[in-house]
Amino acid sequence: MTAPTTGESSQRHRGWQLWALLPILLLVGTVSLFATSGGSIVDLLGQNPPPTDLLDIRRVTFKPGEIRIRVTNPQRDAITIGSVTVDDAIVPYAVDGSKTLDRLRSTTIVVPYDWVVDDPISVGVTSSTGIEVTKALPAAIETPGADGASVLGYAIIGFLVGVLPILLGLIWLPAMRGADRRWLAAFMALTAGLLTFLALDALSEAFALQATLPGQLGGTGLVLLGVAASYLALTFVSQRLGRRDKTGGGVLRGAALATLVAIGIGLHNLGEGLAIGSSFALGALALGSFFIIGFMVHNVTEGLGIAAPIADGGRIGLGRLIGLALIAGLPTIAGAWIGGFLASDLLGVLFFAIAAGAAIQVVVEVGRYVARRAPGGLRSGWVGGGFLAGVAVMYLTGLLIA
Amino acid sequence: MSKSFSRRKLLAGAAIPVAAVPLARLAGVGESNAGAAPGSHIAHDHDHDHARMGHAAMIGREVPAPGGPNDLDALLEPPPALPHQPGRVREYRLVAEDQEIEVAQGVTYPAWTYNGTIPGPVLRATEDDILRVHFTNHGSHPHTIHFHGIHPANMDGVFEVVPPGGSFTYEFEAAPYGMQLYHCHATPLKKHIEKGLYGALIIDPPKPRAPARELVMVMNGYDTDGDGKNNFYTVNGLAFYYAKYPIRVKRGELVRIYLVNMTELDLINSLHLHGNFFRYYPTGSSNRYEYTDTVMLCQGQRGIIELEFPNPGRFMFHAHQSEFAELGWMGFFEVEE
Repeated sequence: MTAPTTGESSQRHRGWQLWALLPILLLVGTVSLFATSGGSIVDLLGQNPPPTDLLDIRRVTFKPGEIRIRVTNPQRDAITIGSVTVDDAIVPYAVDGSKTLDRLRSTTIVVPYDWVVDDPISVGVTSSTGIEVTKALPAAIETPGADGASVLGYAIIGFLVGVLPILLGLIWLPAMRGADRRWLAAFMALTAGLLTFLALDALSEAFALQATLPGQLGGTGLVLLGVAASYLALTFVSQRLGRRDKTGGGVLRGAALATLVAIGIGLHNLGEGLAIGSSFALGALALGSFFIIGFMVHNVTEGLGIAAPIADGGRIGLGRLIGLALIAGLPTIAGAWIGGFLASDLLGVLFFAIAAGAAIQVVVEVGRYVARRAPGGLRSGWVGGGFLAGVAVMYLTGLLIA
Repeated sequence: MSKSFSRRKLLAGAAIPVAAVPLARLAGVGESNAGAAPGSHIAHDHDHDHARMGHAAMIGREVPAPGGPNDLDALLEPPPALPHQPGRVREYRLVAEDQEIEVAQGVTYPAWTYNGTIPGPVLRATEDDILRVHFTNHGSHPHTIHFHGIHPANMDGVFEVVPPGGSFTYEFEAAPYGMQLYHCHATPLKKHIEKGLYGALIIDPPKPRAPARELVMVMNGYDTDGDGKNNFYTVNGLAFYYAKYPIRVKRGELVRIYLVNMTELDLINSLHLHGNFFRYYPTGSSNRYEYTDTVMLCQGQRGIIELEFPNPGRFMFHAHQSEFAELGWMGFFEVEE
């Protein structure tokens, strides 16, 4: 009895694979038929519009006596660089390699130019078909190179706005340990609140940045991809952490939950560091003392968020605590380096999308925890109040930076 | 701005001087910024090669200009003046045609032309000649030729629009003497002129002008991306052409320039000559002149410049709207012994 069944099943299996190939083969056939028809089908409708021939100016950097313009061809047809202007004046320029860029290819235009420090400046690139794209820069400032001083500088700024405030926030831990369960639930809800704030913030950054990308790079899809991938990756991580911690009964708690919160905050800080680094490198940001202080106050709350789950979860070594602060804070430094030295909007979109997905996952995890542990569950006033307080604290300390 | 950073409104931080933050100096930004005295500063090290920077140095082979050494000779040098002989017929053939022209180095413009060039050919007659212009429209749009001067209403090139494939013969007595011009007057007028349908018409006085080295300069602009703003400015059609190939003249010889402004989209254009003064005869139809080194013309305005170069060497001429000069309307006279 069993033998024929197995045979039939494997036969069905093989058939399934063949059938799966059929639509693909038919698609290839149809596509090649359409391709060989030339423009005759489109001709039934009218004429295709001409290519826009608008190059995309990705990045403008300033060196002594020199401006570098990074351009990308965002369209299907090739574009040839014709002339280059700075402040509406034609300038001699050089490109490395061909002036003709195929689809999505980039090149750097080097213009010898005596730019004026701190003055607004605009650059323009005109295609061989006469279409000019211009980009206005708020101020011409020498772009920091990747030398020892700037690597150290970004690291210190990253440490100050990323690592240090989180360490300070963790010092709330002993105080929180003394609090009763309702207060602890409120603090956990506060963590969820501030992570929700960060998720929304990262998501809006990702959408804003993707809007500036060439259409072919598929902005919104890219955001979804980043969010989904990081959400699923963090779900996997939380399962692994949960397996190690047998006491929680499937719900992450204590140091394990704190680790997850730290990872979520860390991924957010990667994007934040990237934005700081690239904004500074592009002359769109002044790193004033007020700005740094504002960031520190803002991020202290992130330390509080990591401390809350630990307060409810038994003892933890100082080394582990510092480790958590580093997981959450160090990505700021990495982000600042990446942003400062090779800022790309594409990376920015991806980083912010990843940050959003991670933060959402951690909110879910914290929510499950609060639902189980808090007196009165999610509907308790302490939880609702804590959540709102978390959002409000992030909003209000965010104003310090504005 | 491709970098948005909305949440933290980073730009607001710009109010705080970077110098106030020791951190910034650590970040390696102090050298270029914090150490700087107030006011504006040129950021460069003096070792850097500055020879190619700025339009003042746009000379010779490095100049981004299209075309070869003698490409514009026919547009720069008018046909010779003929002695006064009332009733003599002067015949010209003008063909309107669509033509791709490299107007600035590396930039091609789908232009509308008379006889394939912008500006069209230089027409010349002596006062009281019969000017007969055979016009054929090989372009894709209806065109005309409208001449400035005195002529009958049906020769004005406004009502007798010539369709693609059609032709028309304009015939009238050349008058008055002076620097005249012609251009298409089909609608939309702005488009037909901006696309390149114009040229110079010289009408010589009955009493010949003094022998001179004669030059024609038609000032124009091109809006290559159709945004209502000119991308390039030229004299005789090619951006920076005379910066790359200076106009050679002899020291002390009389130089006569027939100048007309056909720039569309901008209100005015101008010519400024370095190291010299000239006599400017508005429209060139009387003996009244202004002694100056800069003239300003609206579209259709024109005149005759007469001058001698007392000094040898290279003298720049350009629009004194710096923007036009740096977008292609700049050249040189090379004054030789």
